Amino acid sequence: MKNRLFVATALAAGLLLFSHTALPHHGANLYDTTKAVVLKGTVTKFVWGNPHNQIFFDVTDGKGEVAHWVASTEPPLVMLERGWTVKSLNTGDQVTAYVYAAKNGAPVGNLQKVVLANGKELTAYQGRGGPEPPPR
Amino acid sequence: MRNRAVVSAAAVMTLMTVSLVLRAQTARIPDLSGDWAPDARRGGIGQSLSLSDTGGRNRGNEDDIPYQPWARAKTLSEKTSTGADPRFDETTDPQVLYCEPPGVPHIYLWPIKTKFIQTPEAVYILHELGPYYRIVWLNSKHPADTDPQWWGHSIGRYENGNTLVVDTVGFNDKTWLDQMGHPHTEQLHLTERYKRVDQNTLELEMTIDDPGAYTKPWNAHRNFTLSKTGFLRYQQICSVRENQQFFDNLGTPAATPPSVK
Repeated sequence: MKNRLFVATALAAGLLLFSHTALPHHGANLYDTTKAVVLKGTVTKFVWGNPHNQIFFDVTDGKGEVAHWVASTEPPLVMLERGWTVKSLNTGDQVTAYVYAAKNGAPVGNLQKVVLANGKELTAYQGRGGPEPPPR
Repeated sequence: MRNRAVVSAAAVMTLMTVSLVLRAQTARIPDLSGDWAPDARRGGIGQSLSLSDTGGRNRGNEDDIPYQPWARAKTLSEKTSTGADPRFDETTDPQVLYCEPPGVPHIYLWPIKTKFIQTPEAVYILHELGPYYRIVWLNSKHPADTDPQWWGHSIGRYENGNTLVVDTVGFNDKTWLDQMGHPHTEQLHLTERYKRVDQNTLELEMTIDDPGAYTKPWNAHRNFTLSKTGFLRYQQICSVRENQQFFDNLGTPAATPPSVK
């Protein structure tokens, strides 16, 4: 448990710490940051909180099988700067999510953007994949 | 004779005018009000205080950090959770591991806003992370014998009508200077110069003077931009439990080898 907690804290805080600018590094060890997976689903829970926001959504495939996905964004303070609020997503919302998914195939990843049923687009990561801002 | 009198009078008037202007400038207190967010267009939060290596790609070998040998070795021995070689599962960052205070200047590498409350006796620096705050005592001196603490002991003064100069000593040695593991000792003497360049821009020049870890003082820089989204609309608190939940939801599934899922 101690080791697990160690890893948990390190991962969570680590993601939080370097998620803001060194975007090419974000989740480099765990996520495929070369392309976003496009997923159409229904929001089951939106956690607006520390250390990162988490969006839970169900995706049903052609065979009727439901996959329970969860994607993270940056922390609430950063997302507030980007125009998000605690009410940006609600349970039951039909969404199209663009996610940098886990390399191992697990239904988890980092949200890049989400498009609501009314066409409204919410960007999660600004400038992701672009050049790192130059020092002053 | 008359000419000499005129010249003397003119000289006196000039001196008086210059003196008045100087006094007005030095007495003017800069308005630091507002909510200051790291400027993503100008460095953002970055990972390293090194001006030549903000992304931490050359950790331990930056040309602008005058390491003492032990400090370089210590930096290289650390496992960071960010930068070019993130080691989530074995990081040695005490702020990440134990939710300890990041201290200053480390806190300025977080994606959080900062606010200044200016009073005649002190400037209170509030951070959205923690939420932590510092007190910068104006018209004051450091105690003769400081008790090493997380945020040290800060005194301040205003300069040129647009700058707050903060002088801090009395740090403990438990924090990293940034996210790249740069160490410091209790001898750290940090000078911060907060300059409001214009209505929307605040610049922070820092001098890190730690003869216990570095061979000479070195400089770092941060940029801030005025935010209109409101201060502390969310309390960014490091919680081991919430970190655990987050990891359970996202970290464990992503880190589990496919063969044992």
